[in-house]
Amino acid sequence: MKTATSRVRGVEHDIVQMPQAGDKAPYYEPQGNEVAIFEAAYKRRLPVMLKGPTGCGKTRFLEYMAFQLKRPLVTVSCHEDLTSSDLVGRFLLEGSETVWHDGPLTRAVKAGAVCYLDEIVEARTDSTVVIHSLTDHRRKLTIEKKGQEIDAHEDFMLVISYNPGYQTVLKDLKPSTKQRFVAINFDFPPEDVERKILLQEVPGTKADIAEKLVAIGRKARLLKDHGLEESTSTRALVYAASMMGAGLDPVAACQVAMVNPITDDIELHDALMEIVQAHFA
Amino acid sequence: MKITPAITEAVARLKDLSVVAHREVEQVLPAILPHGEAVTLQWLAACTALFSFERDAGKAFIRGSLEAEKVSETVLPWTEQALAFMQWRASWRALEGFMANVARAYGSLGHAGEARWAKLGFVWCARQIESGAAYFSTPVLDLAGRHGGITAIEQLATPADELYESRKLMLATYLPGAIRVRNLLGAQAILPWASRGADIMQSGRARGEAYFRLESEESLSLLLEHLPGYRLTDRNRLLGMLLDVWFGGEFELKESAWSPEKGRPFIETDGKSIYFPAVMADREEAILALLHTAGHMYYRTFSRAAMQEMFAEAKIEFPQKGAVSWAPLFMRFGDDALRFQLIFDLCEDLRIDFRVQDNVPNYLKRMCNAAHGLGVRHPESQGYYELALESVEAALAHRAGAPADPRFAPLFAEDATVATAYRVAGTLYEKSKLTPVTDLEAFYAAYLPGRSPNATRMAHPQESDDEQDQSQPGAEQNSQQQDEGGEETEAPQNAESGEEQGDGDQKEMPSYGDSSGQSARASSQGDKEGANHGSSDKGIPYPEWDYRESRYKRNWSWVQEKRLAESNMGETVRLMKQYAVALKRLKKAIQSQKPTRTAPLTQQLDGDDMDLNAVVSYVAEKRAGQSPRPNIYKRREIRQREVAVTLLADMSTSIMQHLPEGGGRLVDRVRAGVLLFAESMEEVGDAYSIAGFCSKYRDNVSYYMLKDFDETLSEDIRAQIGGMSGRLATRMGAAIRHATASFEGVESRRRLLLLLSDGRPEDYDDGGDRRYLHEDTRMAVKEAVAKGVHPFCITVDTMANQYLPQIFGPGHYLVLDHINSLPNKLPEIYLRLRR
Repeated sequence: MKTATSRVRGVEHDIVQMPQAGDKAPYYEPQGNEVAIFEAAYKRRLPVMLKGPTGCGKTRFLEYMAFQLKRPLVTVSCHEDLTSSDLVGRFLLEGSETVWHDGPLTRAVKAGAVCYLDEIVEARTDSTVVIHSLTDHRRKLTIEKKGQEIDAHEDFMLVISYNPGYQTVLKDLKPSTKQRFVAINFDFPPEDVERKILLQEVPGTKADIAEKLVAIGRKARLLKDHGLEESTSTRALVYAASMMGAGLDPVAACQVAMVNPITDDIELHDALMEIVQAHFA
Repeated sequence: MKITPAITEAVARLKDLSVVAHREVEQVLPAILPHGEAVTLQWLAACTALFSFERDAGKAFIRGSLEAEKVSETVLPWTEQALAFMQWRASWRALEGFMANVARAYGSLGHAGEARWAKLGFVWCARQIESGAAYFSTPVLDLAGRHGGITAIEQLATPADELYESRKLMLATYLPGAIRVRNLLGAQAILPWASRGADIMQSGRARGEAYFRLESEESLSLLLEHLPGYRLTDRNRLLGMLLDVWFGGEFELKESAWSPEKGRPFIETDGKSIYFPAVMADREEAILALLHTAGHMYYRTFSRAAMQEMFAEAKIEFPQKGAVSWAPLFMRFGDDALRFQLIFDLCEDLRIDFRVQDNVPNYLKRMCNAAHGLGVRHPESQGYYELALESVEAALAHRAGAPADPRFAPLFAEDATVATAYRVAGTLYEKSKLTPVTDLEAFYAAYLPGRSPNATRMAHPQESDDEQDQSQPGAEQNSQQQDEGGEETEAPQNAESGEEQGDGDQKEMPSYGDSSGQSARASSQGDKEGANHGSSDKGIPYPEWDYRESRYKRNWSWVQEKRLAESNMGETVRLMKQYAVALKRLKKAIQSQKPTRTAPLTQQLDGDDMDLNAVVSYVAEKRAGQSPRPNIYKRREIRQREVAVTLLADMSTSIMQHLPEGGGRLVDRVRAGVLLFAESMEEVGDAYSIAGFCSKYRDNVSYYMLKDFDETLSEDIRAQIGGMSGRLATRMGAAIRHATASFEGVESRRRLLLLLSDGRPEDYDDGGDRRYLHEDTRMAVKEAVAKGVHPFCITVDTMANQYLPQIFGPGHYLVLDHINSLPNKLPEIYLRLRR
C-alpha cells in the first residue's frame, strides 16, 4: 500500500517528508474518539503518548494523523543504546572539516514535523530527558554540544508510544516524563471495526473469513493470563488474512501468523490451535 | 458296552473305600464305559488312587470327569494328567481347579493346547503348589484372554518363569493382576509391570501384594502411564484454557477415580466440578467430552428449579437440601430403567449440544464426525447410538435452517431445560422400539463420543436468583456465570485454614533432614537482629492504610524480622538433584546473556582501549572549536550492579496444600523455585535477598530473612530454603513495607521486589473485610514505587486476575496457571524483568 512515507521504493529519501498531493492516505479505522483527541492536542501542540499493546494500530494511527494534519512524520525506534546524540545530533568529520549533523529530533523540531519516539521505554532514561524542555510550555530543544537552543517550529509535535506490558516493569517511564503528555489508550478494536480493518487491509478477503478471524482473535486474547506475553494482535489477524489471500489454507495461515509467533508453550499452542480449528472446521 | 466283572469288582472296591465315592462314580460310569474295559478300569483305578491319596482330590476328579469326557471324547489323557498331581503334597486344590477347567481347556484350546496348558501348570505345581492351584483354578478363558489361544497363556507364563528365576516371584501372587494388565495393555506390558512389582515385593510383602492386586497407588499409576490413549492428567492446563476460552467461566477441574477396569472413560460433572479420567481414547473424544460436560454446567443441567420441575412431573419428592440423586427417576421404570436412562440422557445431551454450538463454532459438526468415526459399536446398544447420532444430525440440520425434527424440536427451544428433556424422553420412550440394555458395557457403548451418563454422581443443584436470565443467550450470561463461579470458590482459604491450625504452626514442619545446629544459629541470629535494627521484641512498626477512613493508622502493623528456625538439607539436596537439568539449562541461558552485562564500558576517562566512536566525536568537536571531555577510552569490567532484587515468598498455611494435579504440595514447588532462583542469581551476579513472611494479627507479622543482600549463598541458607513451610496468614502490606525498607543502603539503580504468592492478602483480624487488606496492600505497593522499588507479583492463584490488577496494577503481576512450572519459571521471569 502506498503511504506518504513510502512513495518511491528502493530509493533513499529524507526522513522529513511532507505528504504530497496525490499520496494515498494511510488506512486507519477509528476505534473511538482518538482522532478528535489527537486533533485537539495538535491544535494546542501538546505532546501525546500512545499506550497500548503491540499490533493494535498505534503507529498506523500516527501515520494517518500526520497525513490528515499534513505534517511530515519522523519516526525514531528507541532501543537500549540510544543516546541523546542519536536524537539531537553530533559533529562528524567531513574531509578536513567538522560538520554538525542534526539528529532526527532536531530535524523534526526545525521542520515542524511530528516526531514519533516509538517504544520510548526501551531507551535509557538519561537519553530521554532531552525531550523534557520540548514537552512543556518552553517548547525548546537544547543542543548542548553546540551551546544552542532551538525554539520548536510552531507545527512541531512530539508523540511517544509505550506498551505497558509486564516486561517493562523496571523500565517504566519517569513520572516526571509521563505527566507531560496527553495519553491516549489503545486497545484491540471492537469486533466490527476489526472486521472492517481486515477487509480493507487485505483486499479480496471474504466477509466470512474476516468474521472467523476476528472471532478467533477475540477468543485467543482470553488466554492472555495463561502465560502469553503478547496477545494475538490485529496485525497478526491481518497477516493471517494475507497468507490466506496468497493461497494458504486457513488453518495453516492462522497457525503461522497467529499461533507460532506468540508462543513456544505446547499447551498454549494446542489451545490456540483448538480455537483456530473450531472456527475453520 | 456292558459292565464286565472286572469293572464290577473295581467299583465294589471303591464302595468299600467310600460310599460317597461310589455314589459319584455310579453317575459318571455310563459316560466312561463306552471307551472300553481297559480305559474304564484305568479310570476307576485313578479314582481309587486319588481318593485314597486325598479325599477331596478324588471327589473333584470324579465330578469333573463327566464334563471332561464329554468335551474331550477321551478319558486317558486327562486321567493321566490328574494322576500326576499325586506327586505333590496338598495338591487337591490344584487338582480341583484342573478338573473344573479341563473341559473348557479342551473346548477352547484343543487337545494339543490342553496338553500345553496342563504342562505349564505342572511346572508351577512343582515350584509351589499354591501357584499351581492358582493357575489351574483360573478359568481358561481368563487365562487366554478374549482372543488369545494357548499363545496368550504362554505369553502370560513366560514373564512369570523369568521372574521366578530371577526374583522368586510366585505365580499365585502375580497371576490375577497380570491377567488384568494383559487385558488392558497387552502382553508386552506384563513384564515391566511385574518386574517393578517384584522389586516392591522384596522391599515389603504387604506393599508388594497390594501392588499385584492392582490396589496400590504405584501400581495404578504405572498402569495409567502405559495405558494407550490421550492422557488428560498431563493436559489439564490445556483443558483449563479451553474452558476459559469457550465458556469464560472458572470451572473446577478434578481428576476422577476412574481406573481402566471401570470400562469406558468419561468426563462427568455433578453440577459443581468437572471430573476427568486419567486417559481417554483419543484427543478428539477428550476435547468433545470436555466441551460437552462444560455445556452441562453452563446450560445448567442441574439447575435447582428445572430439577424440581422434573421431579414434580415424576411425582417424586425433591430433596430440600444437599445433593440430589436421579436414581428415583429411573427406578420408576423397573427393569427397563437403563433403557429410559439412555433415552433421557440422549435428550438432555442433545439439548446441551445444541446450545454448546453457540459457544463453540462447529461443535455439532465435530461431534457428528467423531461419532461417525467410532467404528466399534456394541450390538446390544447400537440402536441407541444411531438414534443419538440421528438426533445430532437433526440438530445440525436445524442449525443450518432446516425445520426441526418434531421428535426433538422442544429441545431446541431456547427456554428448554432438563425438565423439557425429561418430557421429551418420556414420549420417546413410549414410542421407541429400542431393545432393552442389560450389559453395562453395552450401556456405556451407547453414548456418542464426548457424552457420558449424566446421573452417575449425586447432582449438586445449581442455584440461581434469576432462572430466566440464565436461559437467555447473551453476554450478560457470561459475566453472570463468571461471578457465580467466583463466589463459589473464593473461600478465604488462607485465614481459614490458618485458623484451624491455630498456634500449632510448628507442628506442620517436616523434619526429615539434618536439623543440627538450629538452635545455635537461632540464638546468634537473635543477637544480630537486635543489633541491626535496634528494635524491641515487638518488632518494627509500620503504618497501615484504612480505606474506610481514608487515612493511615500509625504504627499499626508490627513486623518482627527473624531467621527461619527450620532447615532441611536433605530436602535441598533432593531438590537440587530433581532440578539439576533445569538448573543447568538456566545457567547456560544466563551465561549466554552475560556479554551484555560485561560489555565494554564506553566513553570512559581512562581505560585499556580507545573507544573509536568517542575518539571521532572528540576530534570532531575539538575541530569545531569545542573543548570536549576526553572520555575516549573503553574498558572491560563488570559493570556496577544495576539491579537489586528481593524475592519475598508468601509463607502462609495455604502453601501447605496438596497440588490438585498431585505430585506433592505447593510448598515443594515453592522451595524448588526459591532454590533455583538463588542458584540462578549467583550466576547472574545481581544483588539479591530472599525472605518469607506470614502473619497473625496486626502486631505479629513475621518476616523471615533467608538471605540478606550482603550474605553469600551458604549451605546454611540452602538448607533453610529446604526447610521453608507454611504457617498462619498473609498480611501482605506490612511485608511489602518491610521489604521496601530493607532496600535502603543497597546501591542499585533498579530495585525489584518479586512477590511470590498463592492467594489474596488476608489476616485473622481483617474481620472478613477483604477490601481492607487489599487496599492496604495497594497503598504499600504505591509507597514502594515512590521509594523506587518496583513490586511485581507472581501468583499461582488462578483467581488472582480478580484482585491483583487492582493491587499491583495491570502488567505488574503474573498468574502462573501451571504450578509445576513454578520452579523453572521463577528465575526466567526475573531474567525477563531485568532485561
